[in-house]
Amino acid sequence: MIRLSSPNIGKVSILVAILTWLSLLFVDITRIFGLLNQLESGVSPEVSFILEITFFIMVYIFFNHSIARNERNEFLNLIWRGASTGLLALGVSLLIRLFYYLLGDSRLATDPLLKNFFYHINFALTTLFLISCTLLWKRLILYQKTKKIVQQWQAFEILLLVSMFFIFFNKNTLDYSFLFGLVFITIFSISLSVNLKWIPYLTFKEKWKSILFLFIILLATSYLFVEVLSYSDSKVILVNLTDNLFLIGLFSFVFFYTLFSFLVTLFNLPTSSVFEQKLVEAINFQRLSQSIKPGQSENQVLDILVDSCMSASYADAGWLELRDEMNASVFFHKRFIDKEDLQKLFDLINDTKPFANFEWEKEDNENKVFQGKIADSLYKSALMVPLVVNQRTIGRIYLLKEVKDGFNKEMVNIISTFVGQACISVENYRLLNEAIKNERYKEELKIAQRVQRSLLPDTLHHDDSFEICGFSIAADEVGGDYYETKKLGDNQFVLIIGDVSGKGTSAAFNMSQMKGIFHSLVQLQPKPSDFLLMANNALSQCLEKNHFITTSYFIIDTEKKTINYSRAGHCPTLYYDHKKKESEYLSIDGMGLGILRNNLYKQYVHEKTFSFFPGDILVLYTDGIVEAKNSKGIEFGYERLKTVVNASATLNVEQIQNKIIQEVYKFIGKNRIADDDYSLMIIKFN
Amino acid sequence: MLNIEHIKQKGYSILQLSGEVDASNSVDLDAAFQEILSEGAKRILVDGSKLEYISSAGLGVFMSYLEEFQEKDIQLVIFGLLEKVHQVFVILGLDKLITLKPNQEEALQAIV
Repeated sequence: MIRLSSPNIGKVSILVAILTWLSLLFVDITRIFGLLNQLESGVSPEVSFILEITFFIMVYIFFNHSIARNERNEFLNLIWRGASTGLLALGVSLLIRLFYYLLGDSRLATDPLLKNFFYHINFALTTLFLISCTLLWKRLILYQKTKKIVQQWQAFEILLLVSMFFIFFNKNTLDYSFLFGLVFITIFSISLSVNLKWIPYLTFKEKWKSILFLFIILLATSYLFVEVLSYSDSKVILVNLTDNLFLIGLFSFVFFYTLFSFLVTLFNLPTSSVFEQKLVEAINFQRLSQSIKPGQSENQVLDILVDSCMSASYADAGWLELRDEMNASVFFHKRFIDKEDLQKLFDLINDTKPFANFEWEKEDNENKVFQGKIADSLYKSALMVPLVVNQRTIGRIYLLKEVKDGFNKEMVNIISTFVGQACISVENYRLLNEAIKNERYKEELKIAQRVQRSLLPDTLHHDDSFEICGFSIAADEVGGDYYETKKLGDNQFVLIIGDVSGKGTSAAFNMSQMKGIFHSLVQLQPKPSDFLLMANNALSQCLEKNHFITTSYFIIDTEKKTINYSRAGHCPTLYYDHKKKESEYLSIDGMGLGILRNNLYKQYVHEKTFSFFPGDILVLYTDGIVEAKNSKGIEFGYERLKTVVNASATLNVEQIQNKIIQEVYKFIGKNRIADDDYSLMIIKFN
Repeated sequence: MLNIEHIKQKGYSILQLSGEVDASNSVDLDAAFQEILSEGAKRILVDGSKLEYISSAGLGVFMSYLEEFQEKDIQLVIFGLLEKVHQVFVILGLDKLITLKPNQEEALQAIV
C-alpha cells in the first residue's frame, strides 16, 4: 500500500469531499429531472445516503488533519476559527433567504432545481461548520487530558460514526429510535462539556473576545438548526440530507459545549484577575529562583524581590533596608515613596516599634514575618520581613499599605516565600563568588607547586664510581622535603637530604630557605659537622621558634673511597654492606637544626668517616617512608625497609627505588602516602 | 585524634596525652602548655604512655618551650613513651634536652 504523506491527506480529502458533494448534487438533479419528466430515474435514496456519509467522513478527515497540523493554535485562535466558519455558513444562509425574499412570488422562487441547489449549499456549509467546530472543541476538551477523557472522546467519535449509518435504519422518519439516539448523543455531549480547563488560562481581555466569538457560534448554530428544520417538511426536497442523526447530534454537541464555555467564561471574568495574579507570582518566583547570572549582582535579585512583593500584596509603598559594614542602614529600591517620606516613616517605625521582638543579631530571623500598625496619616499597616543570608540578617524589606490590616495570610505566605527564595539566590551567588576565589587560591597553589618542584634537582651529580637516583612526593600541593647533590672538586660529591617540620605551605617556605643555606655554605666546602653548625646558626635566625629541620650531610670522596657524614636529627641512613650482604642503620648522634639556637648546639654535632666498597648501597630517605601506616595503624618501620633493601641489593638504583616505593604502597594498601611528604635517594657504588 | 588531660597534683602537674599529635592538633598541645604556664606550674610531667604518634609539628611544640622553661626554671619530664615514639625523640636529639623516663615513679624522682 502506498503510504500517503501527510500534506496529501488534506488535499485528497478535500478533493474527494468536493467531488462527493458534486455527485450528491448531480444525483439530486437527475432525480428532479426524472420527476419533472415523469421518468423513473431509478436512483434510490441509498445512493445519496452513501455519498452523504462519504462527504461527512472526508470533511471530518480534512478538519482533523488541518487542525492537528497547526500545533501552536492558541485557544482564542481556535474559537475564532469556529466563529468565522459559523459566520460564513450563517451569512450564506441569510443571503439565500434574502435572495428568495427579493424574488418574491416570481416563477423562479418555486423552481425546484434552484431550491435544491441552494439546499445543497446550505447542507455543505452547515456540515463544514459543525464538523470544524466539533474538532476544534475536541482540542479544547483534550487540553490537559487524562486517559479517562481520551477514552471518553474516542467513545464519542465511535458513537458519531455509528449515527451516520443510522439513516439506513430509520429512513428519515422522526421515530422514537431517532429521538432515543439524539437524547443519548446529547447526554454524552453534556458529559463531555464539563472539560473546560482551558478557560482559566485566558487573560481578562482574551476572555471578553472569546465570549463574543462563542456568542457568534451559538447564534450561528441556533439559526442553522432552525433553517435545517424548515427543510424537513419541504415537499421540494426529494431526499432530505439534513435530518441525519449525525448532523443533528453534532448540532446538539456544538451547541451545548459552546453554551457551557460561554457561561463558564462569563462567570470566570470576575475571578480572572486572581488567576492572573497567581500566574505572575509563579513567574516572579521563577525569576527569583534562577541563580544570578554572571555579570549580574545581588542588587538585581533584590530589585525583583521588591517588585514581586509589591505586586503580590498590592502594597502602596515599599523599600529595602540593608546594613553596611558599619551597621548603618542604607535604603534601596524605593517604590512609590521619596527619600524624605521614607526617612520620616523609618524614624516613626523606629520610635513606635510596631515590630516588637525583632533584633538584628538574633539567629532565628529566617522565615519570620513581622506585621504591625503605624500611626501615620497616610499609611496604616506595615509589613517587615528580614532577609537572612547564611544565618546572618543582612537587611529588611518594608511594605506599607494605606488600609488597616492590609496584609492577609495569603499575601504574607507568598511574600515570605519570595524573601526565602531571594535569600537563597543571594546566598548561592555569594557561595559562587567564594568558590571562584578558592579556585584562584588553588591556581596560586599550583604555581607554588611548580616553583617548589623546580627547587628539587633534575639531575644528581655523580661520576663513574657510583650511581644515584632520587625522588620526592608531597602530601599537600607543596611539601617540606629536600634533597640535593653538589660536586666539590674532581672527586668529591656532597649529598644532602632534609625534612622540614610540619607540612604544606609553611614547610615549603622553610625548605626553600634550607636550599639557600645549602648553596651558600657548600661553596665554603665545609666539613659535615661545620656545615651543620653554620646551618644551625643561620636557621636559628630565620625559623619560627616551633620549627626545625632535620638533615643528613654526606661527602663522598671517590678517590679515597670514603664517606664522611654528619646527621642533624634526621632518620638514620641505611647502609648496605656488599661483603656482609646485609644492611645496617648508620649510628651517629645528632640534633635537628633549629632546636637549640645557641653555642651549646656544638656539643651535639658529630661526624664520622668510613670506607665504601663496590656493591655497597646508601639509602637516604625521610620519615614519611618509615612512618607510612597501613589501615591497622602499623608503621612500615625500619625493619621492613631493611628487609626490602637486602632483598633488592643486586638491582640498579632505579630498580631499588621502585622496589621500595612498591613495597611501601603494598604495605599500606594504597597508591600514595596520604599524610606526609616522603623522599628517597639511593646511591650504589661501583 | 588527640586527647589532653590536665591533672593537678601537689607540687606538680601532669599532662596526659592520648592519641596522635599531628599538624592539625599541635595547636591544642600548645594551648595546654600555655594554660599550665599561666597557672605558674614549676614542675610538669607529660604522660606519654597513651601517645601513639607524634609528628614533627608536635615535636616542634615541645621544642618551642625549651628555652622558656630553662629561663623560668621550669622542669619538664616526659615519661612512659612507647618505643616508637621514644625513638622519634631520640633520632631528633630531643632526648638530650628533655628528660625522658620510662615511668611515673622515675619521672617523679627526676623532678624532686
